[in-house]
Amino acid sequence: MNDTVEPAPPRRDPGDLLRRVSVIVLLGAVAGIVSAMLANGFVAAIGWLNDLLLISPRSRMMEERAWLVTLAIVAVPTAGGLVGGILHRFIPDRRPHSPADLIAAVQTREGRLPLRTGFLTGLSSLVSLGSGASVGQYGPLVHMGGTVGSGLARLFRAGTTSDNIAIACGVAAAISTVFHAPIAGILFAHEVVLRHFALRAFAPVAFASVLGHVTAQLIWPQPPLFQVAEAEVAHLWEFGLFVVLGVASAGVAVAYMSALLRMARLAGRMKVPAVLRPAMAGLGLGLAALWMPDILGMGSETLRLAFIEGAFSHWELLLVLTLKLLATAWCLGMGFAGGVFSPALVIGSLFGALFGSLVGSLLGLDLSALVVYSVCGMVAVTAPVIGAPLTTVIIVFELTASYPLTIAALASVALANLVASRYFGRSLFDRQLTERGHDLSGGRSRAILRTHAISELLSEDYVTVESDATVRQARDAIVEAGSSEAYLVDARGYYAGTVHLHELFAAGEREPAQRWCDANALSMREDETVWEAMNAMRHFVGEGVAVLDADGRLVGTVYESDLINAYLELLEQMRKEEHATA
Amino acid sequence: MPRLEPVLILVSALFFGSAMADGKDPLVVATWGGAYEAVQREVLFAPFTERTGIPVETVAYNGGTAILDRDPPPDLVDMAMSESLAACAADRLQSIDDLALPPGSDGTPAKRDFIGGARHRCALTHTVYATVIAYDARAFSGQRPNRVADLFDTESFPGKRALRKTPADNMEWALLASGVPRQELYDLLSTPRGLELAFRRLGAIRDSIIWWEAGDEPVRLLKSGRAVMASGYNGRFFNARLDPESSIEIIWDGQIQEYQTWVVPAGAGRPEAARAFIRFATRTGPLTELAERLAYGPARHSAEAQVRRHPEAGIDMRPHIPTHAYNSANAIAKDIDWYSHTIDRIRERFDDWLQRSRDDAQ
Repeated sequence: MNDTVEPAPPRRDPGDLLRRVSVIVLLGAVAGIVSAMLANGFVAAIGWLNDLLLISPRSRMMEERAWLVTLAIVAVPTAGGLVGGILHRFIPDRRPHSPADLIAAVQTREGRLPLRTGFLTGLSSLVSLGSGASVGQYGPLVHMGGTVGSGLARLFRAGTTSDNIAIACGVAAAISTVFHAPIAGILFAHEVVLRHFALRAFAPVAFASVLGHVTAQLIWPQPPLFQVAEAEVAHLWEFGLFVVLGVASAGVAVAYMSALLRMARLAGRMKVPAVLRPAMAGLGLGLAALWMPDILGMGSETLRLAFIEGAFSHWELLLVLTLKLLATAWCLGMGFAGGVFSPALVIGSLFGALFGSLVGSLLGLDLSALVVYSVCGMVAVTAPVIGAPLTTVIIVFELTASYPLTIAALASVALANLVASRYFGRSLFDRQLTERGHDLSGGRSRAILRTHAISELLSEDYVTVESDATVRQARDAIVEAGSSEAYLVDARGYYAGTVHLHELFAAGEREPAQRWCDANALSMREDETVWEAMNAMRHFVGEGVAVLDADGRLVGTVYESDLINAYLELLEQMRKEEHATA
Repeated sequence: MPRLEPVLILVSALFFGSAMADGKDPLVVATWGGAYEAVQREVLFAPFTERTGIPVETVAYNGGTAILDRDPPPDLVDMAMSESLAACAADRLQSIDDLALPPGSDGTPAKRDFIGGARHRCALTHTVYATVIAYDARAFSGQRPNRVADLFDTESFPGKRALRKTPADNMEWALLASGVPRQELYDLLSTPRGLELAFRRLGAIRDSIIWWEAGDEPVRLLKSGRAVMASGYNGRFFNARLDPESSIEIIWDGQIQEYQTWVVPAGAGRPEAARAFIRFATRTGPLTELAERLAYGPARHSAEAQVRRHPEAGIDMRPHIPTHAYNSANAIAKDIDWYSHTIDRIRERFDDWLQRSRDDAQ
């Protein structure tokens, strides 16, 4: 960190370039294939568990013993919650990880998603989804894909930048596989994970996405999330309605995200031990599902029914959408592992259907098929939640192959993200990260500077003087060390102030040095971040700043030049990652 | 291979000729009567007797598993796959999964020659039949119906609809007409909401419905003009269309395909002869000949490739069989696994609904 940063000399060796390009592309390809197979296996396993445990409507319908179906609806989510709660105890920070953790790792260049956490998060998500918790499957899939990429990067002994790209590759392949949408996979990796567009990253990410798609079609293909029989936009003026629907959907998205955060906070204050909270959530969900089975599980059938005219009345749409929103906040807040995307799809499509049918019947208009409004609502609620407007529109395109539907969805999403970000933030993930101290709203450089503590830059090259020393003693110590300032430290090591040589010259030799302490001298806590240090030192004049531990004992000093060096180095790493072509 | 086949049959004939104590003991086959059975006799039974010396006798069969209660049970039953599965699960059929089947006429091994899902532990598919919607062209001089949704559109296409008095088929069509993609029908019929929607859709046209029960009714209802649209088996409609005067047209959209299988009842007296018959009857040749006469889809790919003209009418049969690419683009594969577990409860709901409709009408 302390070395001077010189721009790297341009590399002219074509062999070296080729080698580096092939390593990163190979890394992407392997990450893509592994991630796709894992993703397909995961989805198949959820389906298998749902059928086995009488969670899927199909298995419930096919089971002839009604009492067993009733028992399962309550017992299975409860048991699933119990297993999940126990699994979380083995994760280092005792909570399942999510795409937010992955974004933080990439954005702050910390890279390296731990395998143990990834595996346990995946397993726990499989348990919650398999046992019918109202959570999504895509978050866990994205996290698993990223963990696979990161793990492979370690296997390939790649650097941080390649690690980040490998994470993006795994993520792209996972999205590509489960949505049957390779283009959306690439977009998602760029829009949500990398958040910049570098050609160096594009090639491996594209490779991973396409290979993932091909692998998934070849081995164990899974049915698509939903299909749309046919959909046309009947009148051009309906595009105006799609935009209005988009803005309204942003409100639903904000309500959904706020509910998720609020419930998490509420759960944190509960007296129930964390390990039992998911089981409690499962019990509550199961009891509610006895009355309203639509809220159980990922809700694929509810999503599909929301596309169909006449499947719900207005009131039912409103009721199911509200209950689904609350059920998801309840399950996730209480600690079930799982994503926020699938429930957002369900809530959004129900809202779109409500909007379409209400406008149609209240204004007496002859509108396009309901499915157009459902899909618009679905996209416009989901995009602000994950912070990826383009990805969601392209998912619609790749899933339905319907251009009219895609353009309608685009009209809805156009304002949705803007409106939601005005009232909530760029996405749920960004808000979760802000609450954990990673503020990405100020751009990446600030986020990176915030992840490094000044303790990494500590220097031991400083002069200390007993706090009861005389001016003479202090002066001699400073001169002897060839420095210009000294820190006063008491007998127990507590920092008592800073004295400057030029001021000590003006003082009487026998006076206590303490009297000449610099009133404006800066000191910092060792856990302060580089970003905070740089802000604090904006008007600082001097050599270094005293760094103290939590109790106030002196632990070292930070030189301004080291801070600047650290800053330049981070900028250089980012520049390389975001703008290099290879 | 084609040359070897007669030899194999001759050998097996000799084997059975000597193995059976009395070669003249007939093989009892339960099958569907009418033109269908006549074709089977011509294409399957007579040649089988000729080659093995075993006469074939038939008993009347109209579907269901009650036939297995006969004492003694028939040696073979021509049973729908959904019922075969249920009977097999109840241990009422013999396992025939060790049956060595000859390759297709083009040399394709049987395993790949048979269509997907044709083989089951207790049943071997021989034909694919379809339940389709047909209409009387005389009733629609202007625009003609061409999709399932038109069955439910009594405004554009007024007139009586003859539908089979069963929840099956009608539920699928009701959801399809509501815009449910065909791949999702059974998932959504599994939800209370989906089921409710299907009944509501049917209810909307209930005043226009004439219910039929026997397979030959729909053709008669269309011919007599009592119904303008009708559901029915594609083979029956095809047969009616052979009459040059006929004005019956088939809508292939949303055709519901089901497999028809050969099964051997548990406790049947002549399992070896029955197995020899199944092997004989499911070769490429007989399957092709059946398809060319009955307009049902053959269970072997090699047979489908060989289907040409109707032997008497001389018309090209390919556009008339349900599995042909022209017709199967929007076909529904009947989910027999689903039905085998749900049919009783759904039928109960259906009967309730019928009762309520009748009460409302009075």
